[in-house]
Amino acid sequence: MFVAGVDVGSTTTKAVLLSEGKIAGWHAMPTGVDLADAAAECLDSVCQRAGTGPDMLAAIVATGYGRDRVAAAARTVTEITCHARGARALVSSALVVVDVGGQDSKVIRLDDDGMVADFVMNDKCAAGTGRFLEVMAARLKVPLDEFGARWRKAREAARISSTCTVFAESEVISLLSRGVAPEPIIRGLCDAVADRLAGMVHRVGLGGDLVMTGGVSRNDGVKRSLEERLSAGVTVPNGSQFAGAYGAALIAFELVS
Amino acid sequence: MTGFGIPSGLRRAARRAVRPEVVLRRRWAYRVASAALPLLERNGARPYKVAATRCVLSDFADAYLGRKPCIFASAFVPTELVYGMGGVPFLPEAAAGLAAAFGLAAESLSACEALWYSPDLCSFHRAGLGGAAAGLLPRPSAVIVSSHLCDGGKRSLFHMSRLAGCPFYMLDVPYSSSDRAARWLASQIEQVARDLPRRVPGLSAEGLPHALERSNEALTEYERTSALRRNVPAPWRGSEALNYVLLFLWSWGSPWLAPFYRALRVHLERTVAAGDFPVLGERHRLLWLNLRPYYDTGVFKYLEGDWASSVAFEEYSFAYWPRLNPREPFASLAEKMMSNFGWGPIERRLEVIARLVGDYSIDGVVQFGQWGCRQSNGGAAIIARELKGMGIPFLNLDGDGVDARCGSEAQAVTRLGAFIELLEARRGG
Repeated sequence: MFVAGVDVGSTTTKAVLLSEGKIAGWHAMPTGVDLADAAAECLDSVCQRAGTGPDMLAAIVATGYGRDRVAAAARTVTEITCHARGARALVSSALVVVDVGGQDSKVIRLDDDGMVADFVMNDKCAAGTGRFLEVMAARLKVPLDEFGARWRKAREAARISSTCTVFAESEVISLLSRGVAPEPIIRGLCDAVADRLAGMVHRVGLGGDLVMTGGVSRNDGVKRSLEERLSAGVTVPNGSQFAGAYGAALIAFELVS
Repeated sequence: MTGFGIPSGLRRAARRAVRPEVVLRRRWAYRVASAALPLLERNGARPYKVAATRCVLSDFADAYLGRKPCIFASAFVPTELVYGMGGVPFLPEAAAGLAAAFGLAAESLSACEALWYSPDLCSFHRAGLGGAAAGLLPRPSAVIVSSHLCDGGKRSLFHMSRLAGCPFYMLDVPYSSSDRAARWLASQIEQVARDLPRRVPGLSAEGLPHALERSNEALTEYERTSALRRNVPAPWRGSEALNYVLLFLWSWGSPWLAPFYRALRVHLERTVAAGDFPVLGERHRLLWLNLRPYYDTGVFKYLEGDWASSVAFEEYSFAYWPRLNPREPFASLAEKMMSNFGWGPIERRLEVIARLVGDYSIDGVVQFGQWGCRQSNGGAAIIARELKGMGIPFLNLDGDGVDARCGSEAQAVTRLGAFIELLEARRGG
């Protein structure tokens, strides 16, 4: 029996397929402008690879900002619950989940049973989100994938004092015009994101194993900056980007079993 | 002639006629609206809604048509003082909520920005100030503010008194409660009551005892409605109750308030008796702190519809003051002001929140984090910790009550949705 979870995010749509409760495949693609199409295409792809089709799925659970656009979904669940479920399944000792997506970031505290005990999300602006880093990467002409390596090369961090994406971009331009190399700027940007995340972690309470999920979890620079600020290790499990879709798939599996 | 064959002069006149700042100052508008109320009632409009509309129409007609001296007041000035002196109160902050509900706030907010005010100032004050500058508000004969709870209120209302060139009074509410502090505040209220008639024709302190009696009468009815709202499931939609907070702030001492609460009490009694509750299959009961977004938002459709959750009660609907003594109006109004739980040490607010959680069988508490609202947001961490100790989940929902540009509905829905999922998981759902 196949079930699927689909996470329609602002930047990327992810789908995870389960066969008898075990991961049978995952797929990610840009969300684009048509959220319903993106979800359908993503589900199609993940099913095709596993030799099945969306019509054969026993249940689909949708999450993410476009969750209401998934017509085939048996249920919609918020990203908070799904990331919590997915992260706990990926790292059984997880007690704090830091999920940084394209347009928001959230920190979730789990109880011993893996249920959401508390959560906080970023406030009204894009600071501390994937979009913030995307804008800066474009300005620096450095692919996001290289941020981790460049972070490690930096001896010090340039100071980025603003957390507003627009003002921070101005600061980056100013730093570049003063001849500052991209590496310290990248480290400064990662620090700025980590500052916001660390504050959110302290709001729900630091303690227990901390797991990072979402698209930005693949950015090693942010992970390292966050570890520095929290003086604690951050685990980024394999498939961290899919934690939300995985959590949704696990809920779908529960629905039918 | 222009499109549809309507003369351009007539079109301009029509456009001018429907402009709110024009309509609000036309006697015929109130006549038409008042005449429509019995028709609405005969056609099924709920009597309490008709009573509330009558209350608002009466005050607006008095204020905009100049039938009575209009006294601008900040949200926590006891309006009994104004009604009792023969004036009509006008609360620009509450009017800002109404403007947002009618889709009229954007113009006021822009007008306020033109006055050099930063968007960092609470939008209830910005819209009030912008409304005054744009001519949307009536002309005040005087302005009375209190030093509690928020700083922005007294400053923006001071600016309005400057715009209108009218007297400005501030009631300085002592932070700590004591007999001496109460006497000090009572003496200020008395001074205002003595000075106002000298500066504003048509005012007199003679009617104060009667206004306090009317306030007590309304309070009696109000306490009955509050008791009925303890019912599980909730007999009144919280989204609607949060709208009526504006009346709760505005109308104490008005002759229209007791009839409104009486009609509401009858409605709630019938709802409970018939078991015809507005939120079908109520699963969770929330306590709402601070105000709500007053512009068109789908947040409550999700909350009360898809998620079967009620806002069982609101912090700002809590009647915190004791019965007033008409024989001692100044001391009594001072006592009312000083018993505001949002003033003084945060323990007072915590105590009320804890009491409401128990009284209304609350499962979770949502604080609407109004942008720029220091007095409420400043307590969020302490409230969260206190509630955690009680085992009650807490959500701080960032947003804006008037300025729709300061929040995203999708993000609010995700936060509230996740909070409901958390409550659902706690009850094993």
